[in-house]
Parts: sequence; C-alpha cells; structure tokens
Amino acid sequence: MRVRKRNGDTEPVDVNKIVRAVERWVADLDEVDPLRVATKTISGLYDGATTSELDKLSIQTAAELIGEEPQYSKLAARLLASYVDKEVRGQGVASFSQCVRYAHGLGLIGDEVAAFVARNARKLDDAVDPAGDLRFEYFGLRTVADRYLLRHPETRLVVETPQYWLLRVACGLSRTPAEAIGFYRLMSSLAYLPSSPTLFNSGTRHTQMSSCFLVDSPRDELDSIYERYHQVARLSKFSGGIGISWTRIRGRGALIRGTNGRSNGIVPFLKTLDAGVAAVNQGGRRKGAACVYLEPWHPDVEEFLELRDNTGEEARRTHNLNLANWIPDEFMRRVEADGEWSLVDPSDAPELPDLWGEEFDEAYRAAEKKAVKTVKARDLYGRMMRTLAQTGNGWMTFKDASNRLSNQTGAPGNTIHLSNLCTEILEVNSDGETAVCNLGSINLGAHVTAEGVDWEKLRATVATAVLFLDRVIDLNYYPSAQAAASNPRWRPVGLGLMGLQDAFFTLRLPFDSERARELSTSVQEEIFLTALETSAELAREHGAHPAYPRTRAAGGDLHPDLWGAEPTQTERWAALRERVAAHGLRNSLLVAIAPTATIASIAGCYECIEPQVSNLFKRETMSGEFLQINTYLVRELKARGLWTAPIREQIKRAEGSVQGIADLPDDVRELFRTAWELPQRALIDLAAARAPYVDQSQSLNLFMSAPTIGKLSSMYLHAWKSGLKTTYYLRSRPATRIQQATVPVVAPTEAVACSLENPETCEACQ
Amino acid sequence: MLLDPGMDLTLRPMRYPRFFDRFKDAIKNTWTVEEVDLHSDLADLARLSPAEQHLVSRLVAFFATGDTIVANNLVLNLYQHVNSPEGRLYLSRQLFEEAVHVQFYLNLLDTYVPDEKERFEAFAAVENIPSIARKAEFCFRWIDSVFDLRQLSTRDDRRAFLLNLICFAACIEGLFFYGAFAYVYFLRSRGLLHGLASGTNWVFRDESMHMAFAFDVVETVRREEPDLFDAEMEQQVTRMLAEAVECEAQFAEDLLGQGVPGMSLADMRAYLEHVADRRLAMLGIAPIYGSKNPFAFMELQDVQELSNFFERRVSAYQVGVTGTVSFDDDF
Repeated sequence: MRVRKRNGDTEPVDVNKIVRAVERWVADLDEVDPLRVATKTISGLYDGATTSELDKLSIQTAAELIGEEPQYSKLAARLLASYVDKEVRGQGVASFSQCVRYAHGLGLIGDEVAAFVARNARKLDDAVDPAGDLRFEYFGLRTVADRYLLRHPETRLVVETPQYWLLRVACGLSRTPAEAIGFYRLMSSLAYLPSSPTLFNSGTRHTQMSSCFLVDSPRDELDSIYERYHQVARLSKFSGGIGISWTRIRGRGALIRGTNGRSNGIVPFLKTLDAGVAAVNQGGRRKGAACVYLEPWHPDVEEFLELRDNTGEEARRTHNLNLANWIPDEFMRRVEADGEWSLVDPSDAPELPDLWGEEFDEAYRAAEKKAVKTVKARDLYGRMMRTLAQTGNGWMTFKDASNRLSNQTGAPGNTIHLSNLCTEILEVNSDGETAVCNLGSINLGAHVTAEGVDWEKLRATVATAVLFLDRVIDLNYYPSAQAAASNPRWRPVGLGLMGLQDAFFTLRLPFDSERARELSTSVQEEIFLTALETSAELAREHGAHPAYPRTRAAGGDLHPDLWGAEPTQTERWAALRERVAAHGLRNSLLVAIAPTATIASIAGCYECIEPQVSNLFKRETMSGEFLQINTYLVRELKARGLWTAPIREQIKRAEGSVQGIADLPDDVRELFRTAWELPQRALIDLAAARAPYVDQSQSLNLFMSAPTIGKLSSMYLHAWKSGLKTTYYLRSRPATRIQQATVPVVAPTEAVACSLENPETCEACQ
Repeated sequence: MLLDPGMDLTLRPMRYPRFFDRFKDAIKNTWTVEEVDLHSDLADLARLSPAEQHLVSRLVAFFATGDTIVANNLVLNLYQHVNSPEGRLYLSRQLFEEAVHVQFYLNLLDTYVPDEKERFEAFAAVENIPSIARKAEFCFRWIDSVFDLRQLSTRDDRRAFLLNLICFAACIEGLFFYGAFAYVYFLRSRGLLHGLASGTNWVFRDESMHMAFAFDVVETVRREEPDLFDAEMEQQVTRMLAEAVECEAQFAEDLLGQGVPGMSLADMRAYLEHVADRRLAMLGIAPIYGSKNPFAFMELQDVQELSNFFERRVSAYQVGVTGTVSFDDDF
C-alpha cells in the first residue's frame, strides 16, 4: 500500500513512521499502545491515499479507542493539535504576533487588537504556553478546531492554533499585556471559560460577545411585530440566543379595528418567526435559536402548546422555536385548588404583562369578566405537562418568583417579562430596551481535589471572571439599538459554573446526599459573595451602574435577603454591605447558571450543575459523533481490577448504567448513578438550596425516562413550591431504540433458560 | 396456531400480547418527514471528495427503492398469513412506517439530486445500476417464492413462509439496511450529512423494531410448531445469509471502489459478516464467519445520544404520554 505525499510523490506506507508520530505524545499516557493505533490506521486506508488523509485517519482511529481506554482521548487531541499546528505553520505563521498580523491582513482581526498585539509582541509571544494543548480532551479540541479557530476566508484553512486563539480572546478584552496574560493563563488552564460568543468574537472585527438577548413582546400592532423580526434576525446573526415574549399580541378572533377584520391569532406570526430564525445562520457555526414566552392566560395558549407537535397541520407548527410558559402564581394556585382559569385577550387587558404579584392578581381577576374562554386550570396544566413529555419543550418558568426575587425590580415600572433561551437569565426589559447578558462559567472540577475545594483559587477565579465579564459590556458590539440602550444602564453579567458533577465524583459525594447539597450551596455562596465584592470594588473605581438607585441593593437588600436566607460567611457579608452602601455596585446582576453545553466540552467537564446522563454515551454535534465515557468510573474500576471487557460490555448493554452490575460494590453503584436514576426531587432541592446565591436563575434540566402526566405534575408543583424561578428542558428517552449492533446477541434458547422458574441455570441473574 | 389459515378477529382474550405491546411502542415513536432538516447537507455534499460523492449517490439510489420493496412484501406475503389481529395491528403500523421511510427517501432524493434526469435514473437504479440490481434480484426471488401461496396448509408452505419472513427480517432489513446505515454513520462520525443521519436515526430505530417483531413471530412459530425447525431449515437460512453477504459485499465494492479513507472494503466485509453472524445467533443458529465488528463508529450507535439543542433537533422524545394531573406521585 502506498501514500501520496504533499509534493505528489508516492511512497510505501510505513508503520514505524506512524508509531513514531504517536510516540511523541504518549509520555504521560501509559495505557496507550502506539502500534495498535498505527496498524488500525493502516487497515482503514486505501491504496494511493494522501498523507493528509493518513494524518486525519490516525486521529480518528485514536478517537475510536476511547471506549476501551479513555487515555486515547488525550492522544487523539494531541494528534489533532499537531495537525492544526502544521496547517497554521504551513501558512508562514511562527508566532502569536505573526498570527494576529496575518489574520488582521485577512480582515479577521479588529484594528485595535492588532495594534495592541503589535505593540506588545515580545511579551505576548513569550506568554504562549507550549504545554497548553496537552490539557485538551479530543471532543473539546475537535470542537475548538472546527468552530472556534479563525479560518482563512478563501482557503478555509485554520489560521490560529488553540493557544493563539485563547490569547487573542484575552487580548480583545485587556488593557495591558499583564492583564491579557493573566486572563489567557486562566482560560488555558481550563479553570474558567467565557461563553461561546466571547470565544468566537473577542478580538475580531465584530465584537458581539453576549450570549443572551431578552426581547419584550412586540406591541399589539403590525409594525412592531415586523420590527421584532428584524431585531431577532440581527441579534441571531451575531451568535446571540434569543428569548422573546409574545404575550401582548391579541389572540385568534379578536377584533382588528383598522380593517374591521378578525385576528388570526399568534400562530401565523410565530410561524414567520420560526422561518426567520432558521434562515439566519450564526456565521456558519450554528443555527439561530429562539425561545418564545407566553403567559398562560393568553387565549391562544392551547395552540401555542402544540407548536412543537410532530403531527397536525404544518402551517401551525414551529420546529425551530423553543417554547416556554411564563406562569403567574395565581395559575398554580388555581391548579392546586382545582379551580377555573380564564383566558383573556391582551387587547382587553393590555396591562397584565407588566404586572406581577398582588397587582397582577387583582388586575387579572378584574379582567376575567372579559374572558374569551374559561377552562379548568388542571386541564391546561395537564396539557403543559403533555407538551413537556412529548417535546421536552414548554418550559415552566415562574413570573412572580422571577420578579419578586430580583435586584432589578425594586422601583415601579421595571418588570421582568420573560427569561431567555436557556432560562437562566432574568432581566427587566421593555419595548425600547432589550436586555443583554454576557456569560462565563467556572469549571468547579478544576478547583477541587480529593481533599476538598481550593477556596482561595476559587475566589481568584471569580474575581478575574467578573472583571472580564464587566469589561465585555463596554467593548461589546450591540447588534440592535434596543440592546445598546439597556446594557450600559444595568450592566448585568452572568457568572455560572460547570463541572459540579466532577467535584462530586472527586469528593465521592452521591448527587442526592446531604453533603453534596451543603457543598453546592457553600460553593454558590462563595461565588456570589466574591462576585459582589468584585463588583463593589469596580464601583469604587468606575462608579455604580447608572440604574443602581432603582435597584433593591440601593435600598440595602441583597439577594439572600430577598429569600430570607442566612449566609454562613457573616463577617464578609457585613463588610460587603458597608462597601455597597458606600460605592454601590457596578453590576445589577452577577450570577446565572447557564447550560454550558459547548464550553463544558472544551473544558472537558460535566455540564453546569447537572448530574451525568450516563457513564457511557455519545455526543452528536456538527463535528460528528463522540463517545463520552465516565473517566472517574474507569479510574475507580481500574483500581479495583474491574475494568474488564465483560464489565465494559455490561455497561454498554445497559446503556451506560452500572446499577445492574452485580460485581460492583454498593457504594460504587450509588456514586455512579445517572440522571435517569437519581430522584429528581434531589435535583430540585439542590437548586432551591443554592438559589439564594443565584441572583438571576439556573438552567435546570429535569430527567424522566418514562414520563407520565401524574409524575410530571407532581414534580413541577414541587419545583414551584420550592421557589424556583425557572426550569429548563424535560429530558426523556425514546420509547423504542435501535437494535444494538456491537454487543453480543442473547440467543433465544439462552433467553428461555433465563427464567425465574429455573434460577439455578440462569447465569445472568447471579 | 399463528400460521393457521383464516381471519382471526378476536382481540380478547388476546393470544399474543407481546405483538400488541410492540404495536403500542411503535406508536410512541411516531415521527414525520418534516422534522428532518436536510438543508445543511447540501453544503456538505459539495465538500465531499469524488469518491465520497460516488458513495453517497449509490447509497441514495439504493434507498430510493429499498423500503418500497419491503412494503410490497409485507402486504403481498406477510400480512395474510400472520393470523392474529394484534399481529396484524403491528404489521399495519409497520406498513405505515415503511411509507414514511419511502417518503423520507423521496424527500432526500428531491433535495440531494436537483437534476431531474439524474433523479429519474436514481429511481431506476434497480434496473440500471448492476450492484443494486443484484440486491433487488435477491429480494424478488424471495418475494416470488411464496407469492402464489393463498394459505399455508402444508408443512412445506409454512417453511417457505418462514424463509421469506426470515429473509426480509435478517437479510434485507437486518443486513442490507444495516449495511447502508453503516455508510451513513461513517459519514456522520466525520461530521458529514447530519440531515441524512438524523432521518436515518429514526429509520434505523423503526427497522430495528420491524426486525424484532419478525423474530418474535419466528419464535412464536417455533414454540407452536417446533418440528418446522430442523437441520435443513438451518442450512437454508445459513445459505441465504451467506448469499446476502455476497450481494451486499459486491455493493460495497461499487461504493468504496474509488477509495474512502477510514472505510476499507475489507473492513466493510468484516462488518457485514459480523452482522450476518448476529442474525444467525438471534435465530439460534451457529455463526458462519466469526468476524468481529471493525467499525468503532457503529459502537457509537449503541449508546445513548445526547444532543445540544443548538446543534440538532433532539430525537429522543415519545408521543402518547398518558395519565392525569396529580400531586403526590413519586419523582
């Protein structure tokens, strides 16, 4: 078999050459077998393949061995890094500053950053950590290489290495080289990452770095609706995720005075929004995404809940929109009391979207006299549950808790009308102001050892993170005038965390244990407290944010006070209060726990505050499919001599569950339960316990393999009663599955033998 | 007995509740073609190497008629002989699913092959592409083998019926389609053709159920009429699978003939042999090849998926959820 070199010559494939290329990277990977990678690579090759195809295939081959031995993930990542490196060097780039100059010449880098790097070239070039790429896992680096690294506009070749990318992001937000280098080191260590829009766009010519936009419902008129389509398209183009309310738009059958016609309701308009969102592709990196919020008294709520059904009239289905219910307490009370619920047209009660709490309750009761229709509250609630079970959508978010427990709603006229695409952002907005939030997440796993949390490191990370989240507000490019109007006034940021499950595994805490809850709460208190301290310090230097006098903090109430919570670090809180009283806060909101889907992959940790979904699963992304294996479990099993082919087989057969594997001790099985096997009450209770230290909200997914209306209605009632402001997806599992193709078949005769009547012959049950 | 001629209409007492359960499970898995978004595939198609483009065009040509053949056999040869109303419920459902698959592949070809002439050629693949024609001939021969049977009166009739059933479950759905899925998932593991792969996820899930149902029928008949299953039958099934492997291997030669890195012809053959052995194992018959699965990307299909909703539409939900509002259920 021969391969074609880059210069066109051919040569025979040389196993040893591949082995040597692999051996370069395995110094700390004792379980990796370079010869195995080499021979497997060659078996997938065809005669006359190019050396570039050979290189790519060796990466893929290493990645395919991850299921047997997780160390191959690091190997695949390193082979990929070296491939990327070759590609960059091949374009004449030998240093960071050269890279920035080259990319600037291609029109990819902003002028200011290019000048900053040119001025400080030597210092910045020296700061690049040659060992930085060794920390990546394969899935993370593949994602980085395919989507985050800048590419040549014509050749589509990658023009920056992963480390140059992180340093470029840092430079885009820094004023001095020392700042840039400090921030780069933090990101390169994977202990903290800003959200994707910042990672995509910092330092480039379009510095839209915010993740979330919360757009108020259009006014109940055609021009306003079409203005919103335009705004959504612009926000989406620059990588933002969008939440938009539709509650103010009149329902089907309502009178339109101008033409004396009847309205077709909200569905046709949402269908247009759906098409608009799908059409805007976020710079080729991902599809646009939006979530529509509706309050449950809207007359079209029942049709709204069917928008994601996969049967029925296509003209009334929106497959690209996410849906969320924005629920007042009054609705939940009537559900509990088995009362009636009135659907009221917003054109008859235009004040309702701006009211919450008792004011809403009164206005709603008055508006019920004009009800378009009356339903049983439980019937509607049941339909909401069905939508959740069948589509995962129709998220339950609670209007009154969201407003009552917010720093921004202290003065009249400021109302939170909706949450965002991922239900962790809660900010006031209005017709003329679109709320914006910049996000970033701490990798908690990187702050924990078997001895416990490294609190000092955590505080340092929070302080740096808040500084650079705040910086984004000033440097950001705002794609709409409404967004530019809101953000400088309120200066909200959303610092979250990821890798909570990593911390629990490292400390051997079952997810639903008392100690896990205590740890998660004290971590959250530490994060929030430090974030407030940092914001107060920024206020001392630069002044409080302009809307500060209208916040609850200005009246002396910090977020835990709104909950009536009793913090543990009383002295620090007392000192903080004094500083806030003296200088105010630079940011109206500080903490929001985002889903971190992509950045957790890059950091190689579990997503935000979620339990693991499985000990063995695959991720499907635009880059391909990736096997993910629980390395904590593998380590544990290796230590016990249980990481054997039959055990791997059993884990796979059980779709990543270890509950049925009799060879594992109870404590191992308890620790390594999956999200499907944990009581969901524990997830809700954990979220409620940390909530006093989350001044926005949390993207809380809930999991149920086989949902029923009864279970769901009990679960969401509990979530509401616990005071949670929002919940996110309901994850469930398909009713049927594909036939596994790679685990041994249990033949029919064996299956007959496995029966309760003749247990002595049954090996499977012993 | 299940294969006794007649038109049993009695659902209570139910003789084969397992068939009914399969029917209910299938309904929970309803999907529609509109849910599959193929538009991102077009950009990928333009990026493929000529060898990969050839692979895709042949694959698509096979899909164009594959499910139609299965649907025809179901109506012409299977439905009339499975004399159980609950079994027929499942088969009706299966027929609907085959129709959805046909529609999906129709949609796929309309999207992938914009040129009308080329599209017509793709649909005529069973006639003008030799590697597909050979697979079609194999199918038609087995359709014809029982086509004239109005009822299964003799032992030979029943064995002929069983062979047809096993052929469609183990060889056509269980091997030809499994082969085709491997190409799709290979491309998907390289980050290519997500639209095709997400539709295939649904199809694959359905086909797995069809196969499982067919094997249930085989097992039921085996329980009711064990003497139908003798050494001769085993030999026939083994020969049939070996022939199917050859059919599919010559198809692979056509698809991979131009060199596709990561998918060598030898590996594809080993995969097909491995799958064939599995089908035999499911029937309690000794394996022919003893080959191991060489494709790690197929192992990925055996584990739970987790999609980021930004990336793809998640396909892991159920329809037909039941129950009423209550506040004290365990969760």
